[in-house]
Amino acid sequence: MEILKSKKEYDVIVVGSGAGGGMATKILSEAGVKVALVESGPYFDPASPDQQTQLKWPWESPRRGAGTNRAFGDFHMSYGDWSLDGEPYSSVEDSNFRWWRSRMLGGRTNHWGRISLRFGPKDFKSKDYDGLGENWPISYEDIKPYYDKLDKLIGVFGTKENMFNDPDGFFLPPPKPRLHELFYINGAKKSGVKVIPSRLSILTKRINNDRGICFYCGQCDRSCSVYGDFSSSSCLVIPSLKGGMVDLYVNSMVNEVLTDKNGRATGVSFINKENGKDYTIKGKIVVLAASACSTARILLNSKSKAHPNGLGNSSNLIGKYLHDSTGAGRGVFIPELINRKTYNEDGVGGMHVYSPWWLDNKKLDFPRGYHIEIGRSFKMPEYGFGFNPNEFNKFFGLRAGGYGDSLRDDVKKYYGSTISLSGRGEAIPLKENYCEIDPDAKDKYGIPVLRFRYKWSDNEFKQVKHMHDTFEEIAHNMGGIPLGSKPTKKDNYGISAPGEIIHEVGTTRMGNDSKNSVVNKYERLHDVDNVYVVDAAPFVSQADKNPTWTIMALSWRTSEHIIKELKKQNI
Amino acid sequence: MKRRDSLKTLVLGSLGATMTFNSCITDEDKLILDQVWKYKYGRTPEELEWDYKMLKGKFFNDYELKTIDKIANIVLPPNENGNIKDAGVVELFEIIAKDFSTPAHNEYGEKVLRRGLIVFDQICEVRFGSKLLECTDIQIQSVFDDIAFNDNTDDNLQEAIRLFAVYRGMIITGYFTSEIGIKDLEYKGNTPNIWDGVPDEILKDYSVSYDEEWISRCVDQTKRNDLAEWDEDGNLLT
Repeated sequence: MEILKSKKEYDVIVVGSGAGGGMATKILSEAGVKVALVESGPYFDPASPDQQTQLKWPWESPRRGAGTNRAFGDFHMSYGDWSLDGEPYSSVEDSNFRWWRSRMLGGRTNHWGRISLRFGPKDFKSKDYDGLGENWPISYEDIKPYYDKLDKLIGVFGTKENMFNDPDGFFLPPPKPRLHELFYINGAKKSGVKVIPSRLSILTKRINNDRGICFYCGQCDRSCSVYGDFSSSSCLVIPSLKGGMVDLYVNSMVNEVLTDKNGRATGVSFINKENGKDYTIKGKIVVLAASACSTARILLNSKSKAHPNGLGNSSNLIGKYLHDSTGAGRGVFIPELINRKTYNEDGVGGMHVYSPWWLDNKKLDFPRGYHIEIGRSFKMPEYGFGFNPNEFNKFFGLRAGGYGDSLRDDVKKYYGSTISLSGRGEAIPLKENYCEIDPDAKDKYGIPVLRFRYKWSDNEFKQVKHMHDTFEEIAHNMGGIPLGSKPTKKDNYGISAPGEIIHEVGTTRMGNDSKNSVVNKYERLHDVDNVYVVDAAPFVSQADKNPTWTIMALSWRTSEHIIKELKKQNI
Repeated sequence: MKRRDSLKTLVLGSLGATMTFNSCITDEDKLILDQVWKYKYGRTPEELEWDYKMLKGKFFNDYELKTIDKIANIVLPPNENGNIKDAGVVELFEIIAKDFSTPAHNEYGEKVLRRGLIVFDQICEVRFGSKLLECTDIQIQSVFDDIAFNDNTDDNLQEAIRLFAVYRGMIITGYFTSEIGIKDLEYKGNTPNIWDGVPDEILKDYSVSYDEEWISRCVDQTKRNDLAEWDEDGNLLT
């Protein structure tokens, strides 16, 4: 096989351009470090008219936005979803892990909900509170300065609330609540559930002269053409390319980290998806940020004499402790919200208010918390809109179904009358939940693929049962009717399949003990002193917070560590 | 080269195999390509190739398309706000029939959409001796009266009831995702604007109000252009 070797040697090779890789690329290149950034997908810039979906109307797609090619619809900005052509994965033991992959510059940061929550002091030391899982080797104080810098660099709106485990930051002012959110606030308050302005990385105010300010189209999932929301592509990678210290390799699937006879990394090999050829590039340091499971896959596929079961895997823990957020949701019909007068209520992408975890687990039968997200239906129609135009007639003793001109009136009558409530909670990481290399399957590039084993435990089932009880109480207290029936034990309380919340973390967990963890507190492999992991793989636990803000804060911290090591010529 | 032309080259390139096999681009291909360009919505080359294939094929014959048009006009009769034709509802049926053709869709075009036409025609033939398209509107309506409500427990009609619900759904979704349908719905967004809260008259209509303390911390839209600055405790100064 022909392998094309580049003569260049980089200081650092960064694999993956999402939240972690984008941040590392920015911090390292700005410090004068020569970086190769290797991304498996194509170049993507939300400002490019050829790629833009923001502000498109449903009729601009022949299928009116239906999800044939993109799971969340034609206009959603992710190249790839839970399945990719020619790149399979599987699950064993009756488990069902669903693996989301966005193959594009910026990765999943182009489509995410921009929910930007700091982990709190408790989240780094959960074991001290309930004896479950493992503590992080770092504390909130270690990461706080990086959260602070991140807030100022990227921009996040929110409010100071002085909550111990939901620390405040340097916030931009939040937008005012929408109408249905006022209903939620009232219902939640009656139920004793705390509600505060949400914390999203969307610019409600100017933060620098390179990025535009939010113009309230509510479409952050399409990625913003004026860079009014945070994406790694628009806010980290593309600006970094202007500095001249970064070589970007796109459509380049890294299959292995290369090592010398002593087991130290010398570079990476990748397959160029455009011509199918194999390439190698050399680097003094390799920083993996391919996403928790892709990073585990690369390490496990990097076998050598020095690392017979995969690079950095002397603990045999790579791939283990894989965990995603728990998830459950319920729709609520609000009779008071029928026959709405229309006005532009798009707002920012996502909710303007949310409920952070508000209870004390000592009084509950499950560990760890969850937060509640509030969704709306008063928005632009897409394929699927109006499929059951008058099903809510049943709540008024009227016949549902029918045909004729009255259907028009029914659609208008019920438009915007439902609210969705979603719980996102913390799972306990288990060694028995993992990804590993499937010995029998390869992808279309010839790279061995992953197979998963992931089952929820009673802790998670009890937690989502509690979510559903809460949803019903809030629904009634805001004058609403919960839709469908409450899931029971037989349907696992309606818990989402692992992977569906797209917050998977934990596959190279961080720790001080090399037998009990894969990377150290600077996200460096215990076994190899020049390989780092800056995606969500090093997470010891997930918290009931979305992982992105912590991925970036840690990546920034690790990048500063790498710069120091390079200066000391330790590497 | 104009961007549109360069993109065309890209598609032609990715379709090169089939194109060059036919040794030249046929008039039909050109027509299809122009159709692909009607839809400019940020596609990847692979997605463009999918769209090309989908727009090129033909699923329903003209008789079937006329039948769909007939059904759609009875399910949602034209009025001064809009009609099935302007909303492109029949075209959507044709496209979805071809588009929902992955294994996950389980032959949606054949097993659901075409099956619907067969079942509706059968009922009309049994009752009136002719297919739906040859029936009068009153005859068709009498059939719909029986299959448009799922509280009808007649065993013989259950499949027709299920399929009618799909047809109604497709017709409504096709109408309200079209330009005239969205206008009819009076949806007001998808355009740059400054959100500054729910209009006062709406708040009054629902007897809800903003909490003063909450609102005092929200964005002052007159200062949105002022560069954000904070003191060391995270208090916004600008």
